[in-house]
Formats: sequence, C-alpha cells, structure tokens
Amino acid sequence: MIFWRQALEIARVDLMVERRAGETLRIVLPFSVVALMVFPLALDLHLGLVSAVGVGVFWALGILFGMQVALRQSASDTPERRDLHVLAGVEPAARFTGRTLSGGILMTAYLGLMLLVMAILFDPDVPAGGWGVLVVSTILVAVGLTELGTLAGEVTTGLRNRTALASLIVAPLALPLVIGASQSVEALERETGILPWILLLIAGDLALAVAGVALARPLEEAR
Amino acid sequence: MTRVRVLMSLAAVAVLIGLWFALTAPPDALQGEYARLLGIHPPSMWLAFLAFGVTALGSIMWLIKKTDRWDQLASASAEIGVIFTAIGLFTGMVWGQAVWGTPWDWQDPRLMSTAVMFFVYLAYIALRNAIEDPTVRARRSAILGAIAVVQVPLVYFSVNLFRTLHQTQSIRPDGSTMPDEMLTAMLVNLVAFTILFVALLAARLDVAKVEAEARPAAPLAGDAVRPPRLSEVEDV
Amino acid sequence: MENIALLSDTRVTLGGRTVLDHLDLTLTPGDCVGVAGPNGSGKTTLVRTLATLQTISAGQARVLGSDPGDRRLTAVRRQIGLIGHQPSLIPELTLGENLHHLARLGGLGSDRVDNALDVVGLADAADRRAEACSFGMKRRVEIAHVLLIRPRLLLLDEAASGLDEAARELVAAMLRSVRERGGAAVMVSHDRSHLATHCDALFALRSGRLEPVS
Repeated sequence: MIFWRQALEIARVDLMVERRAGETLRIVLPFSVVALMVFPLALDLHLGLVSAVGVGVFWALGILFGMQVALRQSASDTPERRDLHVLAGVEPAARFTGRTLSGGILMTAYLGLMLLVMAILFDPDVPAGGWGVLVVSTILVAVGLTELGTLAGEVTTGLRNRTALASLIVAPLALPLVIGASQSVEALERETGILPWILLLIAGDLALAVAGVALARPLEEAR
Repeated sequence: MTRVRVLMSLAAVAVLIGLWFALTAPPDALQGEYARLLGIHPPSMWLAFLAFGVTALGSIMWLIKKTDRWDQLASASAEIGVIFTAIGLFTGMVWGQAVWGTPWDWQDPRLMSTAVMFFVYLAYIALRNAIEDPTVRARRSAILGAIAVVQVPLVYFSVNLFRTLHQTQSIRPDGSTMPDEMLTAMLVNLVAFTILFVALLAARLDVAKVEAEARPAAPLAGDAVRPPRLSEVEDV
Repeated sequence: MENIALLSDTRVTLGGRTVLDHLDLTLTPGDCVGVAGPNGSGKTTLVRTLATLQTISAGQARVLGSDPGDRRLTAVRRQIGLIGHQPSLIPELTLGENLHHLARLGGLGSDRVDNALDVVGLADAADRRAEACSFGMKRRVEIAHVLLIRPRLLLLDEAASGLDEAARELVAAMLRSVRERGGAAVMVSHDRSHLATHCDALFALRSGRLEPVS
C-alpha cells in the first residue's frame, strides 16, 4: 500500500506541475504540429501521397517529439529533492512507477492529439478497423516510450548534455515500438492478423516495466 | 602482454586461413564473386551479437558484484561490438548493392534493426564518455548495457517476423541452404573472428588495467583550495 | 546510551578523489556539533554521509544503529532531518502544496501541515508558488518539514545563511527541540561565530578529517 501511495502521489504532483508549466501541451505539441505541416511542404508531396504517408509521418514525429515529452524538465528532480525523497523512504520502484504513470497519461494525451491533427491535415488512407488499431497502438507506444524516456532520463540525470544524450539513447530503442505499431496497421491491409504486433507492443511495454522496476534501486544509487 | 601477443598471433593466422577459404571457394551461380563477402558479413554480425551479449553479462555482473573488471569487460566488449557491427553493415551494403541492386533497403527490418543496434551501443559509449566519476559511469552504463541487449534477439528474430528481401538464417535446424564450400568458408571465418574478438578483448582489457593503475592515488579534494592572500586583495 | 551516529576511520571517495579520510565522529543524544571548513573541504559530503545518502569507501559508519550500507534503511532515514545547501521545493507548487507533498510521501500527518506552516510564520503565504518566494521563505518551509519529521538526527548544511533574524531564531528553536527530545544535530557552515553560538563542540574539516577547534 505504501508503494502505491507514493507512486500515486508522485504521479499526481507530476501532472499538477505539468498542468501549470504546460511544457507538453503548450510547447511540444504545437512544435510537433508545425513539424507535421513542414513534412509535406518540404517533400512537395501531392495530395494522394500525403494521404499515403500520413500514418508513417505520425509515428515518426510522434516518437521523436514524444521523447521530449518523456524527458520534459518538469519530470526531472534536483539532487536536493531526490535526497529528500530518499530520506522520506520513497521506494525507487515507486518513483519509477509514479513517473511512468504520469508520463504515460501525458504521452497518451500528446500522441492522441497528434493523431487527431494528423487525421485532419493528412486525411490518411486507413483500412477498415484501422482507426481502432491506431488508437490501441498509440496507447501502447505511449506507455513504452514513457518507460524508455523515464529510464533514459534517470541514466542521464545531472549530465550537462542530458537532453541530447537521453534522446540518443531513447531513439534507437524506441524503433521496435514504431515497427510494431506501423506493422499492426499494415497487417490489416495485408489481412495477415494484427495480434502478433499488438502482442509485441504489449510484451515490449511489460519488459520495460519489469526492467524499470528491477533497475530502479541501482538507478537511484547511480547519482 | 604475452597472453595478448599469443592471442593476436593466433587471430592473425586464423583470419588469414579464413580469408584463404573465402577466396578459394567457387563463386556463387547467382551472387558471383560477391558471395565471398558471406565469409565476412555473417561472422561479423554474429560476433557483434556476441560482443553485445558480453556487454550485457558484464553489466549485469557489475550490478551484482560491483568490481571494476566487469565494468571494463562490458565497456571493452561494447567498443569491439560497435566495430564488428560497422563491418557487418558495410559489407552487407556492398553485397546488397551488387546482389540486390541497392545498398540499403528501407523496407528490410533486419537492416534497420541492425543499424538501430549500432546506434544503441554508440549511445552506450557516448554515455560513458559523458560521465567522469568512475563509479557513476560504471553503474549507469551497466544499467543501459543490461537494457540494450534486448536489441540483439530482436535483430535476429526480426527476419522471421517480417516480410523481407534479406535471406532467412543460412543455418537452420533442418540444414543449410548454402553450398558446402561457402558454408565451410563462413564457419571457418566464424571461428577466426571469434579468436579475433577474444584477442581484441584481451588487449583492450589490458589497456584498461594499465589506465586504472596509472591513475594517481586519489588526492584529497580539499587540499586543492588554499586560504586567500587577504593582504594582497587591493593589489589585484 | 546508544550513539546517534558513529563514524570511525571513515573514508569517502567521490569521482576518484578522497573527500573524507580517516574521519572520526561520535554523536550522542543531546549533542550539537559544528563543522567549519573552507570551500571544497568536504562539509556537504560529511552531511550526506551522516544522512546515509553517501556510501563510504572504508572504515565504519553507523547512523541510528544501522549500517548505511544496508539495503533497507527506510526506518532509519525517516528519523533524519536534512536541510541542504539549496532549497528543494518544486517551483510550480505553492509552499503549502510542497509541504503537503513531502508529508504524504513520508507518511507524515497531513493534518499537521497547516499548523507547521503557521508555526514557521508562513500561514498567510501558503498559497504562493515557490518560484515566486524568497530564499528565506523556502527555507522556512524546509524547517516546517523538519518539524513534521521530529528527527533524531538533524543535519544542517549552511541552513542559516541567507536568513533573517527571525528565521535564524527559528533554526535555533528547532535545534533546541531536537536536542531536548534526545536527538543530535550537526551544523555545517562557513560562519564560525554562528556555529559557536549554537554548538557544544566545534570542529574544522581539514584534509578530510575533523580537528577540534577551541
């Protein structure tokens, strides 16, 4: 019970801070939308091509900018605050869980809004049932990306080039999430079954959750 | 040092033998002379997987034992793994250009995930370079090393999961699809590259040991600060 | 009488440098020890070692009966009050929200928070965001947090610097309270006169060791 009390308290305060700081929805999201608009302009895509690439562009930008959500300033603690958490008896796994909870909610909201904007701007070619698959895979990618970002943020905490280094760590490790998510929609088109891809995403999320909880204590000691 | 010299000599002989096998195997009916790259490309990739596996092992053992040697093993193996991955990617691209007509296939998930593995371990090395404190460096890179190994089975099994131009595994439980001479060349090179990996790892570990011993005895931090010369303040 | 803390021949190495070396310190209930030292002498490292936040490289370190190397130190850590160099509040939260947050994390009575804020003189400022408050106000919140903890070991790292007279008196009252309840305190500061006012014993941290100062 103490574990969940601490995790939920950390998540609650994280979301409160984010609501006031507005980094995700007031800065990262608009920046992402601009990037969404830059793509077709930079590539001089015809309308038909825009529809064809819409979902792919969503995943690409969602992952790249989603990293900024996972690594947002409001999710990082000063050394003094971490010391107080340790002295208060906050379990490292509870910290990781709380951060992942709040980050997951923010990431889902962010990716969900990006998906909506992409749908409006790109009018993508999505097969029957594809939107349902997109929503499910968006949620699963949001969870996995948050877990990766939380881990990478902890591993790079206190370093001068933290944001760039953490992004370098997250980006390649996040690609399997992109592959799983994009293949789930492709599988609908090919009529080859989406279940393996959804299960792959779920397995990836679970593996990262286990890794995060198992490595939470060494991560705390790694300052 | 003697041990390293012996291993390096063995590795040099083994690589030369492997090269001989690769160069003397008959050209493939379809791939022509470029089939000889199969003597380098698959062994390089197998050893990249091995190297990153050793990094993961070293990382996990450091987290358990907290001894420097495990950290040195993990780090040395990652550096060698990055080199083997680069060799594997390069030779794969040369082969692909000749046989597929393109050096890179964006739709080939195994190519992509191999490149991903390459960047993951570049990030591992970048992380190590960014941290000065040896204990913090060892711990954080151990954590990343333990997580990053997930990439290795993903690369290997992706060829079975996705539609791809890339060949499926050449050696399967039900036998091989390769001609005998080329298979022999590949296996000989696999052994040669393994010896080379062990030799490089031993050499790199020796260098790490020398670097650690050469570090000066930890000076007292506070001794670097001297009392100010107050009487000379106005003369500045 | 059980020692509050015992450091014996303790060595702490950070980033390849020895910060504390052959350091000895014994704290018994009621003690208030002052530690002075120049910049970079290891005062903060000493504080963090006593707070069980820093592992030692050699020697012995026992705090409130536990070895800081133990995997589970939760019960011990919850009896330690620490006010560090820099304030630790979350800038986007109000002073009251910060204190409630810390209280909830530590399982301290949330019902005592408002009273604690009142005691430190911040009842009327509880709704102000921390980022809009002065250094001294943030420090008072940290003092309120310590009052909520009721620690057996109180560690103050330059806690009184930047505080007005009233807040300094608050620090003194906090020290008295800890000592009267059988706890001990360590104050670290550049200001020897301030240390001399509140501490029974004064040490200088030189070359990684504590040397008594008369």
